[in-house]
Amino acid sequence: MPETPADFRYPLRWRLMDGIEALADRIWPRRLAPWTGWLLITPALLLVGLLVLGLIQIADSSLRTLDTATFLPSEDWSLANFEKALASRVYLTVAWRSLLGAALTTFLTLALAFPYAYALVRTRRPWVRKALLITLFLPFFIGQVVRAYGWLIILGNSGMVNEALSLVGVAPMRLLFNYPAVIFGMVQYMLPFAVLLMVPALAAIPAETETAAGSLGANWLRTTWHVVLPMAKPGLIGAGLVVATLSLTDFAVPAMLGGGSQDFIANAIYDQFFRTADQGLGSALALMLVAAGSVLVGLVFLVFGAGTLSMGGRR
Amino acid sequence: MANDVFRPTRRSLLRGSAAVGAAALFSGLPARRLMAQDAPGKPAELIVRAWGGSWVDALKKGVSDPFTEATGIAIRHDLTEDNEIQPKVWAAVAQGRVPPIHINWDTTVNATKSALRGVTEDLSDLPNLANTTELAKPVGLDGYPIVNTYGYVYVLAYRPEAFPDGAPTSWHALLDPKFKGRIALYNDGIGFHFPAQVAGGGKLEDIPGNMQPAWDFIAKVKEQQPLLGEDPDFTNWFQNGEIDLACTISTNAREAKKNGVDLAWTVPEEGCKFDTDGLWIPKGLPENELYWAKEYINFALTQGAQQVWLDGLGLPGVVPGLTPPEDLVNDPSYPTTPEQIAELIRISTKVQVENESEWFAKFKEIMQG
Repeated sequence: MPETPADFRYPLRWRLMDGIEALADRIWPRRLAPWTGWLLITPALLLVGLLVLGLIQIADSSLRTLDTATFLPSEDWSLANFEKALASRVYLTVAWRSLLGAALTTFLTLALAFPYAYALVRTRRPWVRKALLITLFLPFFIGQVVRAYGWLIILGNSGMVNEALSLVGVAPMRLLFNYPAVIFGMVQYMLPFAVLLMVPALAAIPAETETAAGSLGANWLRTTWHVVLPMAKPGLIGAGLVVATLSLTDFAVPAMLGGGSQDFIANAIYDQFFRTADQGLGSALALMLVAAGSVLVGLVFLVFGAGTLSMGGRR
Repeated sequence: MANDVFRPTRRSLLRGSAAVGAAALFSGLPARRLMAQDAPGKPAELIVRAWGGSWVDALKKGVSDPFTEATGIAIRHDLTEDNEIQPKVWAAVAQGRVPPIHINWDTTVNATKSALRGVTEDLSDLPNLANTTELAKPVGLDGYPIVNTYGYVYVLAYRPEAFPDGAPTSWHALLDPKFKGRIALYNDGIGFHFPAQVAGGGKLEDIPGNMQPAWDFIAKVKEQQPLLGEDPDFTNWFQNGEIDLACTISTNAREAKKNGVDLAWTVPEEGCKFDTDGLWIPKGLPENELYWAKEYINFALTQGAQQVWLDGLGLPGVVPGLTPPEDLVNDPSYPTTPEQIAELIRISTKVQVENESEWFAKFKEIMQG
């Protein structure tokens, strides 16, 4: 056996790794190895735990009514806030508007995001991919409020669009402060989210499958319908879920592009918390919104299965 | 020699005039309060919640800067909306924490809610209260949990270009088909409920028992597709040519006019809502900070501070002897006598506090339907 030279030293990287391993062993000894999985999900548990604590507080608040003589919540619990919310025509209108808005936004966003993501993945020209990425990310870096203000400037009565229309003799028209304007603003806001969620799913589809479909006689439409879309389902479902839940709970776009008459549920909750100081009713509405969002996600899992999101489920 | 002549720079001139102004303003203050040896330790700063734009500019010029000049205490203006700071202050007091602000510049109605909840300090011992009019006293509350500092009017602001025959004389102008989609109200209807009651054929004495005429009139206005927003929205909408008519506080209309927007305002025959804003201090402050916060409010009640602050806002104050800004002399939105105030619509704070949530909800129900 050859002798180790006296001046032999292990490489620096090895020694560093040994040091880190020794330190890790001190912080988390090997005997605790069976619990390592729990350690890794501790941050998530803390986060969810805080959320649950907040929800418990909100649930407690939702069961207390406001006494307008003292502006204090009642000592006793009751379901009065929920009854009031369910009996009120305005909250039903706002809830329906929010749900319809979320559905429309999701459909339109996915319809626009799919070809964009597909082009991003399949293009063979690097400059096109870069241009598509820049175009995608540039608005992504600008906050939602600033983007909404941008639309106020562009679509206003004296905005760029109306200015352009006036050049061809069209009188200025109201393009803002209505439901279509809100949906338009939300689709524009959600598009980058949807594209980013779809790209990994589309990139995972080998281009050869499309070539194979083509060699068997399928045109691009049939290939897209029978091959690409089914294989991209995890991306579509994931993007759809994110867009739907974000749209359902959106505040800024309805507030700014809706002109005050196109409130979503989040706007109604804000009003109760901050305008009328009725935190009980605001909490009841917030819980109902959480329930609606949860039911939506639950239904998607029920219909498509968690496996659709590539999470290892049976379906 | 030219060099011997003192040539003040622009900055030194400004500094000098600020010092003279502060001295003049403080001449009305009992010196003992600000210079007293036994005064508690000064905090480095006081945080005053304020509305932004021209509102905070006026407060800074009239009250905050001269106060800093005289005491050395910096004033930080927190521009969180009054409705948003309210739950934060309430939570801080309920949890025994130091509140996030020292002084809240608030609407009297909102402030009264805080007073009823018991989160406000009593300000009855402010010496300058002795020099104020009855407008400074909050109605229906014991002592001075709030000090009202001025009154304001929700006027009918309009673009003169849209009214070639002269100012609109009635709130019914909002129903003119040619203004469909070109009118604006506050998004909770504040300022409009009471004139709507009169315009709808009802009586002010029926408030709050029977406000059906107001809701009927508001339902007609809804058919006109009004824009609904907050103070800054009105200025933007007028500036961008989105609207011709709006129910807004005269200060906003005046500011838009100062910014070059062709705008005027009027008090229609049905009347306009008159209300007050005030200053109050949340409970839970350290003793020395409470002392200096009270000094700030006391200073805001001096004639000098009121004159500069309210010149900026274009609103009538609570100290006798103030001179109206030149552009507001004889303006009905700047009432200076009890008789002039009586010509406007003034509903008791108590009624407003108890019913405001319901009115806002009803307004929303109509507008969101």
